[in-house]
Amino acid sequence: MTGRVIVITSGKGGVGKTTTSANIGTALAKAGNKVVLIDTDLGLRNLDLLLGLENRIVYTIVDVIEERCKLKQALVKDKKNPNLSLLAAAQTRDKTAVNAEQLKEICDTLKEENDFVLVDCPAGIEQGFQNAVAGASEAIVVTTPEMSAIRDADRIIGLLEAKEEIKSYKLLLNRVRPSLIKSNEMMSVDDVVEILSCPLVGIIPEDTGIITSTNKGEPIVNDENALAGKAYRNVAQRILGEEVPFLDLDEPKGFMAKIKNAFAKLKAKV
Amino acid sequence: MEKGFVENGFIIDLSDAKNTTQLVFELSSIMEHPDVKGKKICLKLGDLDLKQSQLLSIKALIESMDADIAFIDTNSEQTEASAISLGIIISELSDKEIPSIAASSESNIKEEAVEIKIEDENVKKDDLNKTIEIHADIEQNQNSPIETAEDVEDIYEEETTQEISEIIPTEHFETNFETLALNEGLVPKEEISKYILLDTGDVLPAGVEENSVNTEALPTLYINQTLRSGQTVTYEGNILIIGDAHPGSEIVATGDITVWGILGGIAHAGSLGNITSKVRALKLNAIQLRIAGLYARRNDTLNVPYVQKTNEFTPEEAHIEDGKIVIYKKLRRD
Repeated sequence: MTGRVIVITSGKGGVGKTTTSANIGTALAKAGNKVVLIDTDLGLRNLDLLLGLENRIVYTIVDVIEERCKLKQALVKDKKNPNLSLLAAAQTRDKTAVNAEQLKEICDTLKEENDFVLVDCPAGIEQGFQNAVAGASEAIVVTTPEMSAIRDADRIIGLLEAKEEIKSYKLLLNRVRPSLIKSNEMMSVDDVVEILSCPLVGIIPEDTGIITSTNKGEPIVNDENALAGKAYRNVAQRILGEEVPFLDLDEPKGFMAKIKNAFAKLKAKV
Repeated sequence: MEKGFVENGFIIDLSDAKNTTQLVFELSSIMEHPDVKGKKICLKLGDLDLKQSQLLSIKALIESMDADIAFIDTNSEQTEASAISLGIIISELSDKEIPSIAASSESNIKEEAVEIKIEDENVKKDDLNKTIEIHADIEQNQNSPIETAEDVEDIYEEETTQEISEIIPTEHFETNFETLALNEGLVPKEEISKYILLDTGDVLPAGVEENSVNTEALPTLYINQTLRSGQTVTYEGNILIIGDAHPGSEIVATGDITVWGILGGIAHAGSLGNITSKVRALKLNAIQLRIAGLYARRNDTLNVPYVQKTNEFTPEEAHIEDGKIVIYKKLRRD
């Protein structure tokens, strides 16, 4: 079996790379795929927190590279889903502890026994980014509808295009607020796609549930009712090759529509 | 149309509405207001008879705007019956004016509770001086925010007289709040042990042999600072830290580790196999405790608050006993 290695990157920090990695990884594993998440943000690791696995980490990616343990020993199994495991970054080292070749080797080994290897890339375009991209053949570029994030995403797409190994890259638009788009205060999805001219893999609405899910160490895809969770599940399905329409994020306008919507919600609860 | 405003809730008076259509129309126009989002709604429904289905659609309308019904107030028996079957709480706003202390009061629910209290006390004691005392009481109440459902229930239990218990079905109250409290995690379902031994069968490095060197004879490294995420201290001997060790930090010693503060990171005592080593801290909250060849992780439920600042210190000591890491609440000499 040869799995797919997908790097999740953005250039700018704080747009939701790690949240996206945790959620897509969990959603893919829930769909029955064997998934490994690699945190390459050495020194500023967070992915373990989002998955609530911090207390289980014994060995990190640096221990694997410096041969203090075997790769298998360093993989931390998820609490709920045995299909999902995490290769954590070292917190006490920095990006220079790893080089691109070593990471490529790890990715190559992991993809032989897994359907998906998701690499969570650190912010920036320096060594950390170069390391994370090294083993990947696909990329997901995360951005938000803000000019600064889009500018950085554009730079990243340029760098990805220059890499021969990256066969395809897709855009994931995070933290979209339909109400702001409607009042012309935020760039619309179409605007962003047009500026970046890059195919879209998902639109994730802004959701305050993300904050609680991070604090709890439980990805939001596990919450059946959360809209952001649904959006991430759709992204996972699209990665698996299914055609899923993008969520309609517009809130119903008329009074009757509101009542209908409320009843639909009630029904869903029952 | 009278409309009252309190800090965390709305009282919406719909008692003027002549039929359901008018009522729903009025309600929806009020609910359009952006301030209503996330609030607790107190509905005055007046004499109108509402069937269960009608009341359900009103509830659904309010919930669709991200608000919640806190209470309803009605004069109709049918509405009352519908509300009970839907689990909506009924209370009496009475004909009193809505107090203008809006800014200082915490929520609708609390205001309700206070209002009822005034009535009771007044009935019992007609003394003017007492009334002043009661007012002082109320002020106190307003200062202490009532946030959980349990608190509200307590007030009812303490303060209500027969008059009020007629209006509020108590049995319904209890079950409702118990499940609510359980869902919010307020009532612990079972006691949990703090640390769980990791299966270290295949993770331990080879070549570390068990020994039991007296740690008192080892040299001690004295550190007078807070260890932050990403910082590591390694020493051949004992380590004493005056300060906190934040989550993400790592302390590795071949002897004992003592933290005069909160230990939140990883601590590895007896890293070269000394099974008599101990880990002590004023607050032992390490994400992982390692002693010699035994690794234990903190329970998942303690994982939620990432950085735990506390003024409550419970000095604890961890050491190996019968092949397990055990933790004692008090520091012991033996």
